[in-house]
Amino acid sequence: MARLIELRDIYKIYSEGLESEVRALNGVSLDIDRGEFVAVVGQSGSGKSTLMNVLGCLDIPTYGTYLLDGVDVGTLSDNQLSKIRNREIGFIFQQYNLIPGLTLVENVELPLVYTGMDPIDRRERALAALEKVGLADRYKSFPKQLSGGQQQRVAIARAISDEPPIIMADEPTGALDSRTGREILRFLQELNIEGHTIILITHDNGIAATARRIVRISDGKIIEDRQQEVDWK
Amino acid sequence: MNIFQSVKMAWRSIMAKKGRSVLTMLSIFIGIASVMSIVSVMEGMKDFTRAQYAAMGTNVVNVSIYSWSFDEDGNSKAKDYFPDLYNFCGSIKEYVDGVTPNGYASATVTYGTKTTANMEYKWDEQSGRTISAPPRMSFGSDQYSICNNLTIAKGRDISYLDLERYNQVMVLGKNAAETFFGTMDPIGKVMQVNGQAFTVIGVYAPRATGENADFMLDNIIVFPYTSRRAIGGDMMTEFIIKAKDSQSVSQVITRVGGFLKGLIPEGTGGYSVYSQSQWQESENQYLNMIGLVLGGIAAISLLVGGIGIMNIMLVTVTERTREIGIRRAIGAKRSSIVAQFLIEAGMLCGFGGILGILVGMVLSYVLGKLIFHMTIYPVLWVTLSAFGLSVLLGMIFGSYPAVKASKLQPVEALRSE
Repeated sequence: MARLIELRDIYKIYSEGLESEVRALNGVSLDIDRGEFVAVVGQSGSGKSTLMNVLGCLDIPTYGTYLLDGVDVGTLSDNQLSKIRNREIGFIFQQYNLIPGLTLVENVELPLVYTGMDPIDRRERALAALEKVGLADRYKSFPKQLSGGQQQRVAIARAISDEPPIIMADEPTGALDSRTGREILRFLQELNIEGHTIILITHDNGIAATARRIVRISDGKIIEDRQQEVDWK
Repeated sequence: MNIFQSVKMAWRSIMAKKGRSVLTMLSIFIGIASVMSIVSVMEGMKDFTRAQYAAMGTNVVNVSIYSWSFDEDGNSKAKDYFPDLYNFCGSIKEYVDGVTPNGYASATVTYGTKTTANMEYKWDEQSGRTISAPPRMSFGSDQYSICNNLTIAKGRDISYLDLERYNQVMVLGKNAAETFFGTMDPIGKVMQVNGQAFTVIGVYAPRATGENADFMLDNIIVFPYTSRRAIGGDMMTEFIIKAKDSQSVSQVITRVGGFLKGLIPEGTGGYSVYSQSQWQESENQYLNMIGLVLGGIAAISLLVGGIGIMNIMLVTVTERTREIGIRRAIGAKRSSIVAQFLIEAGMLCGFGGILGILVGMVLSYVLGKLIFHMTIYPVLWVTLSAFGLSVLLGMIFGSYPAVKASKLQPVEALRSE
């Protein structure tokens, strides 16, 4: 079986050839297997967010090959990329990115809407996901009626509603206090235990320290990649 | 993503910005309301003229014969061509139902204290319709009623013998009969026509009924044309031929035209033969043209409204760039984004359109009453196409912002504030 993620010599270059050329990713190669919990750590401007965008099929690398489950992502059409984002990847963002005009349950079921699931199953799945993050009773509320930590839990529910194999979290605790942040990390660890592959992007070494594998990135290059033993009790 | 879901989402976004949505609708609403009322009023006027022509009879051919030969004193040397025309029409019975002069008679008709000499025009204050006026008097043949879509309600019609014998008789229209005789039976009554005794022999059944009834259509008096000898008046130059059916009309025009060409000595006069349907057609064309011009002006207001929609949708897209990014990140295809914004624009315009149709209906009703004194009902095809047009406009003008929204790279969209 192919590896889940294989990045080969990935470059992301802005204004190539000009004086203002920026190499956000400067030859990144990275393999990630199913079930891993990877923290991508780096200072701001290190290229970690660009890496996540490439990994999440939100952005297309300038050069290099990205094999997701053995499929060369560079050859896929926009529609096929949409489908991959929909089925294979669940996103959790720093700013939660819930849609303000939709209720919690509607936010959570949005990925399922684009999957094309029928409304009854969809609602059931979305409520189950909300249940998991402990917010099922507030399913009719709107995002702005919730605290930051609660909103991020809704975002987690949205990310897992479609049961994607990969969860990508971009600074998921960045906007939260440390206690709430630990709570969110706890959810991610549980998801990893359930079998989801977690890719966590952060600038915070303390948070990275909770991951089984740490990939350190600086100036668009990977400068460290190590496994570690962690105790999630 | 199915349509129902998209409609629901679009509804949410519309309701989220109520004030803006109402203003956007307003721009479409004004355009639709004006197009709608203009077209309805135009259609109403066409119906009205159609009804007028129908009341006067269909398949009618008008003939004018005029003379330009005069004697030394300036008196017309015109000949009375009617007997020839009458006989000719009798010879082409397969095409012709009847022929009559349509001569205007100018006479003072008196019965007791009532006389046309002091009859006044009166209008209904509210509708502006004529409710009282001196009757229109005509000279006709025994086929006058056939040619003018008239039937006898009481008594008898003018006969061939009346013409032959120069009988001093007359037939009244319903309104003329009421003016002179009220509820009395007019048959057999003797009236003074320019001082001559004329006997009423019949009363016509009313031609125009209902709301659009024209008083003058039944406010008529008809004399046998030969009684012109007693009453006086100009030589008759206008004639009406009633063709058997619509197919016969062109035959009648050709044949009568040919006959008159041979009949009238060259240099002494001329003639014209034309059908009323030609008249009606040209009048309809005229109305259509006015309608086109007015409709065009209204269409410009629709265009302006459409550009307003585009403007608003562009703002909406910009405001919701982040939402678009989120949707794209969790799996929305470009087509789903396009559909979302198209449906939103279409719905906005659709609501505006419905409002416009309602106001258009009221406007055409009020305009109809105020200006044309008739009830104008909105035509179904106008209503439906007005609605279709507004939705279509929304789609057309919404498509640019929608496509623009879908083209955003998910990363770019997510980055926006």
